[in-house]
Order: sequence, then structure tokens, then C-alpha cells
Amino acid sequence: MTNEVSALLRLQTWLSPAFPTGGFSYSHGLEFAVEAGLVKDADTTARWVRTVLLFGAGRTDGILLAAAWRAETLPDRRAVVELGAALRGTAELAMESTQQGAAFLRAVRTGWSHPVLDEWMRAFDAEKIEPVLPVAVGLVCSINRIGLETVLPLYLQAFAASLVSAAVRLVPLGQSDGLHILAMLEPPVMAAARAAETASLADIGSATPMVDWASMKHETQYTRLFRS
Amino acid sequence: MYAAISPSDLPPPTSEPASREAPIARYRGGVLARFAARDGRTHLVDLRQTSPCRLAFPRPATGDPLTAVLVTTSGGLAGGDRLRVDIAAGAGTSVLVTGQAAEKVYRSLGPETRVRTTIAAGEGAWVEWMPQETILFDRARLRRRIELEVATGAKVLAAETVVLGRTASGERFSSGLLHDEWRVKRGGRLVWADALHLSDLLVEPLEQAAGFDGATAMATLMFVAEDAPARLEQARGVLDRVGTEHVRQGATVVGGLLLVRLLSRDAHRLREVLARVVGAFRAAFQGLPARAPAMWRI
Repeated sequence: MTNEVSALLRLQTWLSPAFPTGGFSYSHGLEFAVEAGLVKDADTTARWVRTVLLFGAGRTDGILLAAAWRAETLPDRRAVVELGAALRGTAELAMESTQQGAAFLRAVRTGWSHPVLDEWMRAFDAEKIEPVLPVAVGLVCSINRIGLETVLPLYLQAFAASLVSAAVRLVPLGQSDGLHILAMLEPPVMAAARAAETASLADIGSATPMVDWASMKHETQYTRLFRS
Repeated sequence: MYAAISPSDLPPPTSEPASREAPIARYRGGVLARFAARDGRTHLVDLRQTSPCRLAFPRPATGDPLTAVLVTTSGGLAGGDRLRVDIAAGAGTSVLVTGQAAEKVYRSLGPETRVRTTIAAGEGAWVEWMPQETILFDRARLRRRIELEVATGAKVLAAETVVLGRTASGERFSSGLLHDEWRVKRGGRLVWADALHLSDLLVEPLEQAAGFDGATAMATLMFVAEDAPARLEQARGVLDRVGTEHVRQGATVVGGLLLVRLLSRDAHRLREVLARVVGAFRAAFQGLPARAPAMWRI
């Protein structure tokens, strides 16, 4: 999409919390981190989300999104879809990303159908592989000619905002705390986007085992508001 | 104690990606071992090994399967070293592969140490991959990939531990590289992948709550088998029983495999807990003695 405003228009719709991907129902392990006392106020929330952005799913999903966006051939796309689905630390983190990916693609194909996307999806269906959310976003943006430098920061900001929104409900935090944190997270969002754009797929990986640990513990958490 | 095995040349690895910084390779060593079942017993049918790697075959501890012990004769790995470990356990075999000692990775002035391990388990095989911990010296640069190829009806129990810094003497892993990848394939299909990536700016993720929260040792234990998902409750029970306040532990089923993670600030306590979990799992999942490999000396 050569016109930048029309690209932003679409992204604002697709990455909005109102877009029917069910994003509001996932906390990415944060619910147990709150239960365990690791996240307990505005400061610890900001640090948790910053770490996830720079060293956790923000990093790995950003690299996956970029790889999906750049994939030029069917084998390339298949490899990214397969890796994206496999690269999940726990049952709930896998569900979070797989279900949002499927919902995102359903919604995009409903409102913005595209023959190329249909063709790609037929190929994935035939192999019984499913794009997780960042891979789905990367594929859809490449078809719609939305630049990587635009989608990466907006995707990561939407991810960060969904975690902050979960924290506002769970910790709980006041609305103004949530807003301060969102403002504070702008530099790490931009840094994670830049890193994802330049990193090679060979360097994909995370350094957030505590997120996986919290997500494992969340599976048996007694009272839960969130699905992950 | 060890059976005499004559070493022969291992072909240089060909499928590794070309290094970007073209390090001066000190070693291109490795081991390749194939096992096959005949007359209801597991036999070594092919062994190729090059310095600094050797595979030794001590008499298995009572009740244990055929036991192969990986020995690194150089005492540790340096930047530029490249190792390849290739274990193929044929249909119906039972094999325990362990390590003689902890693997030390020394500080590097730039080049990466690369280790690539492939464990293939044929139909109906039982394979245990139980190396001792890998200790990263400060400023070590290790890039490692382990691939499990698990056939239908095969069972693999695999554990790896990384220790960040020579923690016993107070050293921290304050800069360097650890890129540690897992790939698990079943019937040729990638079912689970994992990559720990710690690079350069690693103090922040090591300290932050969502990162390592100060932990300096991490163990990954997995059980890949058809019945692995059904073992989750049992696994959680084991973790509750052997757990201590010093070791964080969790279990999940992802990609159809049972995955356990342990994190601790104390490598010694982590090793003790891991040994108990491994013992309980091999007893529960395969009817083997409820203890870790004898080499671990717990």
C-alpha cells in the first residue's frame, strides 16, 4: 500500500482491541505473575511488560512477523508458519497465539478478502498447519503492501497495551497508572520493532523463562479471569 | 571400566550453517553412534568419533539400559570449537546417553562455540538423553542446537541444564552469548521448538522478574511419547513432592510433549531436584530404576 494513511487506517482496525481476535481474554502469564507477587504495582508492571517486549514474545513474535512478511515462496511461508506454531513455551501460550491467529485470519478474510490470501490458506490447510497471530499479521500485511517499518511497532504496541490492560484489571492499577505505563513503554516498543526488523531468523529466541514458568503455573491457578 | 572402541574418522559436518565470522576452528570433532536391536538386545552397530569427543560404554547400572557416556577429552570447549553429536537408536532399542562430567564453555574472544546434537529414536525405541550440566564461563559464546527425531511408538526422555557463570566461585555470566535451540520432530514433522537467546545485553533479562528473576541455572526436561500428554498430572505430583523453595518448577504439555522447567539461583540444588524428577519419571514412564544416571553422582 503506497499511501501511508490508508495502510494506517487498515492497521488501526486490524490491531484494535475491538477487532474480533479475543485478545482481551489472554494475559500471557501475567495473571499468575500477579498471584505470585512478582507484579504488584505500576513499577513492576512496567518492568514486566518491558522485559516481555525486549526479551520475550515481543522479540520472538516480532522476528516471526518480519520473517512471514518477507517470505517469498510457498516453502518459505510454510517454514515460518510451522516454526511459529512450534515455538511456544507452554500449552496456554500456544493456545493464546494459535486461537488469535485463526480469529485474525477469519476476520480479515471476512472484511478484506483477497485471492492470494485464500490461495495461501488453502495450502496451509492442506498441510494442516495454522499461522499463529504474528505470522498471520505478517502474511496479511505483505499481501496488503503495508510496510514492515509500520506494522512492527504498531503490532508490538498493541501487544504491550493488551498486557497493560490485563494488569490494570489484575493488580489492580488505576487508569492513570495504566496510561503512564503505556507512555513509558514507547521506547521499548520502538526498540523491539527495530530489533525485529534487523534480526535474522537464526537468532530467534527469548530470555524470559519466568513467563513460561508463570504460564505453566497459571494452568492450575485456582481463580482465573484470563485464558493464559 | 570402559569397553575398548576403536576411533575412526567422523566426516566434517556439512549441514551446519556457514559461520558469519569464520572462526578458526579448533575442533571439528564429534561422535556418531548407531544402535540396533537384535535378539531382544540393543547393540552398538556403528561408532565414529573424533577428538575431543569419545563415547565410552561402562557396564550399565543394575536395571539400566545400554549406557553410553560422552567424554570431552579437552576438558572444555573454547570459542571456535565445533562439535557434532549424532545418536541414532534404531527400532526397539533402549539406550541411555549421559555425560562423564559437566561441559565447560570457556570465555571466547569472539568466535562462537557450536554444538549440534541429533538424537533419533526409531519405532518403539526408549532413549534417554541425560548429559550433565553445561557451565558457561563469563564471556563464553555458545550456539547450540539439539534435535530430537522421534518415530511412532518411540519414547525419549531428555534433560539439559545450563549454568550461567561459575556460580560456585561467585562468577556471573555478565556478557557473551547463549543461543540454545531445541527442535522436536515426530514423524518428520516439527511439533515443538524452543530457543533461549541471551546476547550481550544480558544483565537486564537475567535480573528482571519476567526474565530469569536472578536464576543462574535452568533445566529443561521433556518426555516425548504418544502417552506424554496423559502424564501431566503424574508429573505435577512428582514436582510437588520433590520441590524445594529454592527451585522454581513447572510442567506443561505443549506440541504433544511433556515439558518441565526448573529455575534456581543455586545450581547444586537445581541438580538435586532434577535428579529426583528424572528418577521418578524413568520409573513411572518406563519401569526403570528410580534414580538419575550414575555419572551424575547425586
